[in-house]
Amino acid sequence: MSNSIQNIQSQQLSFPQPPGAAPAAAGEGPSFKNVLLDSIQQVNSMQQDANRAVEHLATGGDISPAEVFSAVQKADLAFRTMMQVRNKLVQAYQEVQNIRV
Amino acid sequence: MLAQLFNSTTIPVLEQVAGFAQDRHQVLAGNLANIDTPGYRTRDLPPELFEASLKKALRARDQNNQPAAPGGYRRPSNPLAEVRGDVKSMVRHDENNTGFEAQITEIAKNQMTHSLAMSVLVNQFQLLGAAISERA
Amino acid sequence: MISALDISASGLTAQRTRLTAIANNIANISTTHDESGAPEAYQPRFSVFETDDAVRGPHGAVGVRVASVEIADVEPRWRYQPYHPDAVQEGERKGYVAYPNISVMTEFTDALEATRAYEANLGVIDVTKEMVQQTLRILA
Repeated sequence: MSNSIQNIQSQQLSFPQPPGAAPAAAGEGPSFKNVLLDSIQQVNSMQQDANRAVEHLATGGDISPAEVFSAVQKADLAFRTMMQVRNKLVQAYQEVQNIRV
Repeated sequence: MLAQLFNSTTIPVLEQVAGFAQDRHQVLAGNLANIDTPGYRTRDLPPELFEASLKKALRARDQNNQPAAPGGYRRPSNPLAEVRGDVKSMVRHDENNTGFEAQITEIAKNQMTHSLAMSVLVNQFQLLGAAISERA
Repeated sequence: MISALDISASGLTAQRTRLTAIANNIANISTTHDESGAPEAYQPRFSVFETDDAVRGPHGAVGVRVASVEIADVEPRWRYQPYHPDAVQEGERKGYVAYPNISVMTEFTDALEATRAYEANLGVIDVTKEMVQQTLRILA
C-alpha cells in the first residue's frame, strides 16, 4: 500500500507548477489534494502503528492490551472515516457528472 | 495478490497466537484432569518459547520486506506458518507438580490471551470486509 | 479443542468413581460381616488413577482413568461386644467384634478433594466452550 502512495506522490511532483500558483496557494492554505493525500498517509501510518502494537504484544513486549486495543480501534476508525470521505467524493463526482448541459 | 491481502494486516500473527493458546489449553486441561494421578508430571507449552519463536519469524518476515533484488526473490506466502510447528518439540515436563491453583491461573491467563487475539482477529476481518464492500 | 472436552470428561468420570468409592466406605462404616454372613470387617476401597493414553490431545495433552478400585488390607478395629452375633467365638479375641477401620474425617476430606477436582474440570469445560464460541465469531 505504501508503494502505491509513493507512486501517487511522485506523479504529483512531476506536474509543472503554473507560475504564480505558489504564492496563491500559500495565501489560501494547503490544497485539497494535499490534505487528501496527507490523510491517506496518516491512515496508513496508523494501521502500521496498530500492526506493530499487536506484534509487540504477541511477542511478549511490555505493552498493555489497552494500548493495543486503542491503537487498533483508532486505525479502524481512521480507515472508516477515510472510506466515508471517499464515498462522498465519488457520490459528489457522480452528481456532477449527471448534470445535463 | 490475494495472499498479500492478509499479510498486510496482523491476521497471520493473530492466527498463530490464537492457535497456540488453543493447543496450550488442551495440555493444561490434561494437567487438571490428572491432578490426582500418582507420578504424573505437569506438562506445559511455555509461552516464552512461543513468543521467542514468533519474534524470530517476524524478524525474518520484516527482512524479506526489503525491495526484491532484480531477478526476483520469492517470499514465502506465510512465514509465520513455521512458528507453531516449532512449539511441538517444546513440551516441558516440570520437575515438580506445580499444583492446583497454579494450573487454574495458567488456564485463566491463557484464556485471556486467546480472547485478546480473537477480538483483534475478528476486528481485522471486519475491517477487510469494510474495505472490500466499500461500506464503512 | 474437542480433545480438551474429552480430557476434561475423563477427569470428571475418574473423580466421580473416586467419590463413589468414598461413599461406599462411609456407608459401610459399621459393616461387620460380608454378603455370605461370615464375620469380617469391611475393608475400605480406594481408587487408583493413571493417565489414559486413549484420550489424548496434541502436544502431550492426556486424560485420566481409574486403573482399578483396590481393596485395602488394614487391621480392623476391635470392640468388645460378646453378645454381638459377629463376635469371635474362640481364641485370644473371644468376644470381640471386628469393625471397619474407616475414619469419617479422612473419607470426608478425600471427598472434598474429589469434589474440588470435579469442579475444576467443570470449570475447564466452561473455558473450552467459550474459546470455541469465540473462534466461531470469526465467521459471524
